[in-house]
Amino acid sequence: MTLSKQHLALLSVALAALLIAPSLLKSYGLYLLTLWLVYIIAALGLNLTVGYAGLKSLCHAGFMGVGAYTVAILLKAGVSFWLATPAAIALCFVLGLLIGFPALRVQLHYLGFATLGFNLLLMLFFRNEEWLTGGTFGIQNIKRPDLFGFSFNGNLAFYYLVLVITLVSAALLAYVLRSPWGRAFAALRDNPIRAESTGVNITAYTLISFAIGAAYAGLAGALFAPLVNFIEPAPFGLGMSLLFLMMVVVGGSGKFYGPVLGSAIALLLPEYLRFAKDWYLAIFGFAVVAMMIWLPGGLLSVRERWLLYKAKKASEKNATGVGAV
Amino acid sequence: MKSVSKSLLASALVASGIALTSGAYAQAIKVAKIVELSGGGTTAGTMYRNGARLAFNEINAAGGIMGRKVEIAEMDTQSQPAVAKAMTVKSIDDKTDVIFGPVFSGSILVSMTESQRAGIPNFTGGEAANLTQQGNPFLFRSSFSQSMGMPKVANYLANDLKVKSVAVIFINNDFGKGGRDAIVKELGARSIKVAADISTDPGQVDYSSAVLRAKQANADALFAYLNEEESARLLRELRKQGFDKPIVGETTIMGAKVIELAGNAANGVRGHVGLTVDAPIPAIQQFAQKFEREFKAKSDHNGIKGYFSAYAYKAAVEKAKTTDGKAVAAALRNSCFNTKTNPGILLDVCFDANGDIDRESFLVEVKDGKQTVIATLPPLVKR
Repeated sequence: MTLSKQHLALLSVALAALLIAPSLLKSYGLYLLTLWLVYIIAALGLNLTVGYAGLKSLCHAGFMGVGAYTVAILLKAGVSFWLATPAAIALCFVLGLLIGFPALRVQLHYLGFATLGFNLLLMLFFRNEEWLTGGTFGIQNIKRPDLFGFSFNGNLAFYYLVLVITLVSAALLAYVLRSPWGRAFAALRDNPIRAESTGVNITAYTLISFAIGAAYAGLAGALFAPLVNFIEPAPFGLGMSLLFLMMVVVGGSGKFYGPVLGSAIALLLPEYLRFAKDWYLAIFGFAVVAMMIWLPGGLLSVRERWLLYKAKKASEKNATGVGAV
Repeated sequence: MKSVSKSLLASALVASGIALTSGAYAQAIKVAKIVELSGGGTTAGTMYRNGARLAFNEINAAGGIMGRKVEIAEMDTQSQPAVAKAMTVKSIDDKTDVIFGPVFSGSILVSMTESQRAGIPNFTGGEAANLTQQGNPFLFRSSFSQSMGMPKVANYLANDLKVKSVAVIFINNDFGKGGRDAIVKELGARSIKVAADISTDPGQVDYSSAVLRAKQANADALFAYLNEEESARLLRELRKQGFDKPIVGETTIMGAKVIELAGNAANGVRGHVGLTVDAPIPAIQQFAQKFEREFKAKSDHNGIKGYFSAYAYKAAVEKAKTTDGKAVAAALRNSCFNTKTNPGILLDVCFDANGDIDRESFLVEVKDGKQTVIATLPPLVKR
């Protein structure tokens, strides 16, 4: 895998910032930063399903909930975090395959509704199966993991753990996207019929894109539960699924770093706007609407638009030049 | 010479001014209000915030607590437990002396572990029974827990209304479910049959099927236990479908905000409330007037909770003679405060070892869009 020099430089600056940041932050800032990383993992997965494979999914928070509950329940049963997390990811992968089946029959907003229904179903399960999930009282005192006697209970240690997991999972996704699979996903999004005629197995790729997306949500959930130490059904509702979709779209759907930027906006922007008191959420809402009007391709489309603008200027110049001659 | 002494005097004045102000700033008591100002809990959170704001404005105007001004930070939890936790951590970073809120039981359940770790007293408006059963020595309620309110409601159903069966409609969140479990237990103990057990969702808009099921159950009375906005919607639907059995509730469904939203549909609703601005007690009436003048709206029980919490904190600091978290918490535990020495707490009150409170409460009925007190009930434990 080769990266351009510019790309590599930016990546190392970002990495250095993420390594140094905690020493400049108090525990509140550190908590937000960790939550941001967790959201990034979930949004990366959704970006594969929505941005690369073009399947409208509205049950991402539901998958995250499955991951969070699986880890919380297994931890309470005495299972190690390092076993519970793969189990959560696997369970979400299988559920993703299952929910992928309707995607073979319906598309666009019809698929959106089908997945929306699935999210509601999961919510009802979390809320009503009290013997397993604790119902609306949720599950309390979820422990943070330790490894070979080293405890990740402290906020700083847990942050670095989440950072490492985020980087590994992002690298894995980048690898998948650069493989023939990634090309196949894009082909599926842009023109399914043509993709099929060139030998892409549409059925398999549709299912797999849902399953991988769901697995990433499961991993995010597995980290969310020990981060907050408490889970209940509310954070895994439809509202959160919509917020995840917003993260992907605002950041730049189908662009690798889109979810990174999108989740930063969804999580950090409202926090920075708190100085506006009663108005902060309204301002946040307006900001998102404005972005969608002027930047429908997401924040990361700014560069492309700038290049397009320059190219257009150049061609206009050429055109007038030809006219003068 | 004259000018020298003048300038000397001036600089001395300036210096003492700086010393005074910086001294006052260094000594200000930091208070964090972490409440629901957006999302599903806005009604309750805003009322609680306003009540506390009114109290602290009065306290500051009267010279603060032990001569120290109170500095207030207000934060929104968006009615989400994870945000409530983040805000609590933030206020601890900012070295707050005391935390007020959140009001929602689900949120305080998460955030109180942080204030406990930091050793900071945390007042809440939450009513879920399990809050004070976690062994947290820094948590204090400002109202009855469900396990104290529900026996009074059950007594009213059994002894005053003499019903044999009750249909129960509840909201399926920690608050509603906790209340439902408590009332079903109390009804069972009094041999009253639960004819229907109807669950509804937070934020639900259409209550037609819930009401239809309640009607078909043909019980002697209905017990409804939902948050404010949901209560108002339910009451409107009950009236629309001509439900004619007694509607009984606990605190929320008779709240001022519910009456405002439900209009005429709230008439006839009755039940038990821990706090009401319509209580025939001069201090509470006075509070109600001040609140309405300040915020152009009638206070509900959450407004009183906020006001009470602020004055309870003041009383505890004055008793402990310090703002140290551990000392203040110790001053509140197993202690009673009366309105003679602390008029701001409105009613004589006792905190027990868990942070639960005990005081007088009221049986009310909504008549002509107003809460009317039928009877005043004594505290559970006579002291």
